[in-house]
Amino acid sequence: MKELKFLLAVWKANMLSAIEYRASFLSQVIGMMVNNFMYFVIWIIFFDRFKDVRGWELSDMYLTFGVLASSFGLVSMLFGNAFNLSDIISKGRLDYYLSFPRPVLLHTVASRMIASGMGDFTYGFISYALSGYFTWDGLLRFVLATLLAAVVFAAFLILIQSLAFWLGIMSNFSALALNAMLTFGIYPITLFDNYAKVILFTLIPAALMGAVPAEFIRGFKWQALTELLVGAMAFLFIAIFVFRLGLKRYESGSAIQVEV
Amino acid sequence: MKSFKKYWAIFQITLINSLAYPGELIGRSLMIIPFMWIFYQLWKVTYAASGSEVINGLSLSNVMWYLMLAETIELGRPPLARTISENVKDGSIAYLLNKPYDFLLYQLSTTMGETIFRAIMNALFGGAVVWWLVGAPEHPEGFLIALPAIIGAWVLHFCVTVMIGLSAFLVEDVSAFTWIYQKLAFLFGGLLVPLDFYPGWLQTVAKALPFSSITYGPARLFVTPTKELFISVMSLQVIWIVILALLLTFAYRRGVAYLTVNGG
Repeated sequence: MKELKFLLAVWKANMLSAIEYRASFLSQVIGMMVNNFMYFVIWIIFFDRFKDVRGWELSDMYLTFGVLASSFGLVSMLFGNAFNLSDIISKGRLDYYLSFPRPVLLHTVASRMIASGMGDFTYGFISYALSGYFTWDGLLRFVLATLLAAVVFAAFLILIQSLAFWLGIMSNFSALALNAMLTFGIYPITLFDNYAKVILFTLIPAALMGAVPAEFIRGFKWQALTELLVGAMAFLFIAIFVFRLGLKRYESGSAIQVEV
Repeated sequence: MKSFKKYWAIFQITLINSLAYPGELIGRSLMIIPFMWIFYQLWKVTYAASGSEVINGLSLSNVMWYLMLAETIELGRPPLARTISENVKDGSIAYLLNKPYDFLLYQLSTTMGETIFRAIMNALFGGAVVWWLVGAPEHPEGFLIALPAIIGAWVLHFCVTVMIGLSAFLVEDVSAFTWIYQKLAFLFGGLLVPLDFYPGWLQTVAKALPFSSITYGPARLFVTPTKELFISVMSLQVIWIVILALLLTFAYRRGVAYLTVNGG
């Protein structure tokens, strides 16, 4: 409860800071929504020409893209530092967070808000509304699936970026992992054979951010919900474990830095 | 001639500099591997479903080599708009403006220097994956024929991104412009789906815009290197380079007039 209050206070401060520069904030939110729409137009053109990919149609793309965009946006807004955690670790910037009587990982990742995430988050709901699968109970499933997919995504980012405790500077590897997660998450899962699917549920859990949540939103299925719940909890547990393990190796750079 | 030597030297220094961290150079170029693999999965299934070996004049092999070159052009480019906008915002642009060189030509020389090895590495990794998946390109000589168009594509892209970067003179954050430009290039440049698969009216619109000269033109020339296509791609590129270079020069002069640098 104490930690929740702390989180709410951090998020409020982040939000106030972001909307201080309103023009910039709005341009990022609207710009990201336009950006997502333009990217999606390519899929509209593709499916207009080729109709379906092994049964996967444009409506499925709307749904998958929707849940992926919303979960990506949620993590960007609430845990923006999860995207550059490796940088924080390798540059010795964890010193600042270690000096506070608050959970280090939670404090670190929640201390930054990426304003454009609001655009992604909102666009996801629009994409879902346009998918043709919209129902009111489906909307509740969309919200739940977005939350669980966001947990998987945040955990994946933390897990990958925590490797910086061992590997040092690894911005290229982080970017590679992030791009792989998003690309494999967006593309139709029907493209992949069983071996590739194993990878998409484990090493790069993109299926848990795109295809599985989309399946759950289409209609309530215990199997999809269980996969999402187990995947989210397992990845979160592993991510926290690896971060804590790495934190024991952390050495301060004794650099004087200001966190803003 | 003396002036050319100066920019040639800047280009060479940046080129050598880009090799200073080979690990980073390789690491960044690995990104093209999952892209090529997933493109192959998508187009393999699409071609199998269509029951035809050639769609709109392109075979599966053509599409994959087209996408490899398109991605090489895209991924090889450094994030110039962001760099210039940061230079404008933190005032460090003042250190570039008071040097005895033309700011725009200096940026062009450094950008080309940074681009060359990035593109080569992307082409090597991307080419290796595509070769393994679909075999050798049907027209290996197409790469040499497309080379002038690839360089033209980078010059065109340079003109657009510098204009976006310089817009930081007027607005605080240029990231929204960068995203939208990138997606325009994806959509009208045929980066993910070749323009040949677009509806006829959209093909006509897209092929007339500069984005097609940045991606589609060079990539299509690589897979179908005909004399007619070469002339068509190069003439359209030259027209757009002239238009955008004039616009850029105008935007730069207006931008510098707005510039206020505080402190030192």
